[in-house]
Amino acid sequence: MSRLLDQFLAEARELLQGIATGLMQLERAPGDGDAMNALFRCVHTLKGNSGLFDFPEMMRLLHAAEDLMDAVRGGSLAFTPALADRLLGAADLVSALCDQVERGGDTRGPQGEAAVALATSLRALLAPSPEEGTRPLAAVQPAIDLPEAALAAARVHGGGEALHFLRYTPAADCYFSGDDPLHAVRQAPGRIWGRIVAPTDWPPLAELDAYANRLGFELLSTAPREALDRHFRYVADQVTIVPVPPPAPQADAVPDLPALLATQRATLLEADRPDWHPGRVRAVVAVLVNTARQLGRTALAEQLPALGEAFLRDDDVAPLLAAVDALAAHQAPTPEPARAEEPAAARSSLRVDQARIDRLLNLVGEMAVARNALPYLARHAARLDGGRELEREIKAQHAAISRITDELQAAIMQIRMMPVALVFERFPRLVRDLARKLGKQVDLVLEGEETEADKNIVESLSDPLVHMVRNSLDHGLETPEERRAAGKSETGRLLIRAGQEGDRIRIEIRDDGRGIDPARIRARAVERGLIAAEAAAQLSDREAVQLVFLPGFSTAAAISDLSGRGVGMDVVRTAVERLHGDIALEGSPGQGTSVRIVLPLSVAVTRVLVIESDGQRFALPIDGVVETLRVPEADIQGMANGRVIVRRGRIVPLRALNAALGVAAEPRRNSAGELAILVLQRGDEQVGLIVDDFRETLDIIQKPLAGVLAGIDAYSGSTLMGDGGVVMVLNPRRLW
Amino acid sequence: MPIRFLKRKAVCTEGVDVEAAETLHGWLLEAPGRSVDLAGCTHLHPANLQVLLASGAPVTALPADADLAAWLSPLLAPKG
Amino acid sequence: MNPVLIVDDAAVIRTYYRTILTAAGYPVAEVGDGVDALEAALQQPCSLCIVDVNMPRLDGFAFLEALRREPVDQPPALVITTDRGDDIAGRCRRSGANAYLPKPVRPETLLAQVALLTGGRA
Repeated sequence: MSRLLDQFLAEARELLQGIATGLMQLERAPGDGDAMNALFRCVHTLKGNSGLFDFPEMMRLLHAAEDLMDAVRGGSLAFTPALADRLLGAADLVSALCDQVERGGDTRGPQGEAAVALATSLRALLAPSPEEGTRPLAAVQPAIDLPEAALAAARVHGGGEALHFLRYTPAADCYFSGDDPLHAVRQAPGRIWGRIVAPTDWPPLAELDAYANRLGFELLSTAPREALDRHFRYVADQVTIVPVPPPAPQADAVPDLPALLATQRATLLEADRPDWHPGRVRAVVAVLVNTARQLGRTALAEQLPALGEAFLRDDDVAPLLAAVDALAAHQAPTPEPARAEEPAAARSSLRVDQARIDRLLNLVGEMAVARNALPYLARHAARLDGGRELEREIKAQHAAISRITDELQAAIMQIRMMPVALVFERFPRLVRDLARKLGKQVDLVLEGEETEADKNIVESLSDPLVHMVRNSLDHGLETPEERRAAGKSETGRLLIRAGQEGDRIRIEIRDDGRGIDPARIRARAVERGLIAAEAAAQLSDREAVQLVFLPGFSTAAAISDLSGRGVGMDVVRTAVERLHGDIALEGSPGQGTSVRIVLPLSVAVTRVLVIESDGQRFALPIDGVVETLRVPEADIQGMANGRVIVRRGRIVPLRALNAALGVAAEPRRNSAGELAILVLQRGDEQVGLIVDDFRETLDIIQKPLAGVLAGIDAYSGSTLMGDGGVVMVLNPRRLW
Repeated sequence: MPIRFLKRKAVCTEGVDVEAAETLHGWLLEAPGRSVDLAGCTHLHPANLQVLLASGAPVTALPADADLAAWLSPLLAPKG
Repeated sequence: MNPVLIVDDAAVIRTYYRTILTAAGYPVAEVGDGVDALEAALQQPCSLCIVDVNMPRLDGFAFLEALRREPVDQPPALVITTDRGDDIAGRCRRSGANAYLPKPVRPETLLAQVALLTGGRA
């Protein structure tokens, strides 16, 4: 039963998504017959499915929605945005009811009452209009709860054929029209199960009206729907027929040790003694031995064959049963979690628990780290007498292990990849609702929904993206009147585009709205005390617009209800940076706004460059490193804001890592008097970090920092090196 | 006649039609402790079934007809 | 590890089991009826027999009973069948099976059951 329910819920969510998509499609193109039919099918299927359960409230609402859609399809009701609102609301309510059911409830309660109320108001829209006359309303079909007995019969029958469940509730006076309902159901085609449903509250026999029918009849049939309809055509108004979904196979529960032990116990207790009895017992013993070994009960495993032979000799089963019980008891309290998980690990499932994948990923990460120890070992070997050959061999092995580890890692990462469509799919509805609320017209264009990224990344993207979409609609896009006045088309355009760039995913949210005014941004930032007036004046327009990412900044004069109070772009930036991503904003007055987010495709393993400063090693994620330079002191120029170098015509501001970390030491120069500079990408800018020396690049897994270190912004984590040392991982975004 | 009425037992045979229900009803009302034998019965109009259910009269034998027995047995467990 | 002996007259079913089991690292052998199964089981020890019931020549129950009469190391046996009669599980046990699964069986169910019967992973 719960499998059936799970199936229903999963399908219901798909259908609800289809209904929302269909409604919005129709809203744009009310004459689209295909969209209308697809939508109608979704509603109809969902209504039919909900009829399998005792969800009368959901059924009522879906039935009303179906009738409404039918009226629209038939042309007797116009499809208006207001109608779409009502129907989307109905879909939301059904979705909420599904949630309630999933949490183990039914469809009653406040949500259920709301559903019934909405059903009534939907029906009111259907009330025969004067010109339409007497269009009959389809009766609300009572929900059908498939009786457990019928479900059991369906299971026994097996999953091969399509089954129909039929409920025949004959009218009280049906005998007078010559009906014999029992005869009718007995003659029904394809019947595999049936029962009579009788009331229990019979009146005293003397008061009984034997000719007023109070009996109901139910049956399961393999016959096609049409055949059943034909058979019951004279009493069609008293008959309900629903398809029975293919039954879940019996005993589909995953086999477990207690069940296996119980089976062996039952075999041992069999009273018959056929001539294969000894073999039967020995096979049971073989299973018990396997189980005992698996549980680590080796001593018991060794005793078991003797116990089996003793049973066969003396026909005294007690000692063997005691051994079975000992195994069952060993298993029951699941003393060691690792042990208890063993049988479960043998299941290869299509739906894998995320925790298991994460565990695999951790193991592979650790393997990558262990692999990183090999170059140290090679170097160490090289120093030995005649160690050159050993060094070469270790290096060859390192290459082989590297390749396998990389492939393994990629394979596991692949399992975790999810398309961004999972986040994007909520935008059509969000944009539609916001646009209607704001009186704006918006064309939403989604591109690259199939782009995949790690589950964590995709899931964490959801909130920032929603926020930016709200921002675009709220502040960016103008009302139709404003747009017309500005010489633009009345309908604004919002583009959300995802794409992969190497090992990064890039997401762009672009609108063609009123854009962003750097002058206003500067003024606002100064007014809020986020930046000094002189500093603001020195910023380029491009730099100035990035100020919106500062905490406490909000561009709207009045904080809008829609963007949410007190939540600004700084929250978006924080979320993006937590994922090791970058965010940049672009825009100019009248030209629309574009926000670009670049994120790694996955977060689990970080490729880092190891650097040295003041005699200490640090690691820096390599994805932000543009290049490493050796620059003569003379090439470094002093400017108002500090030291800079010029690279390919761009000014790259410099900062010493020691200074950023509060270390007094001066950067070390090499023998040629050059400084080691790491050029990093920060949004659209490049910045240079002066360090003492560059070392190797490595794949590491970052461990989050704990305790006092966790509060230090400059570090994002730590990692264990191949030589056993602990190295801090720098967070380049927080070094300035 | 689909029902033969003995002293304390009604024996139903073959198809028991809708009219029989009235007779059966009256016979069961006449005296308490009467029982019904459905062994030879191949069909029972539901009006008769309603009489049997309301009376609670013991059914001494279910129909030999397996299909009819399957319909009736959950409601009329044989007693006595 | 000794092979898992798959006994089923439907080649597609044998392929299905074989694919699942070999992917999990179990060696397998397969035969199409009870007579061949008995011959195979007596020739080479197996770690487990997976047995269908309805087969030509010798059905699954008869095969199991014959196998259990033989003076050899008795492998565990798993019956997988579409038969859904009353007490099918009991019928399987009395013939010498150690476990029963209804057909069709899902890969994870099969693997879990095989792992339990053979004492862990392949």
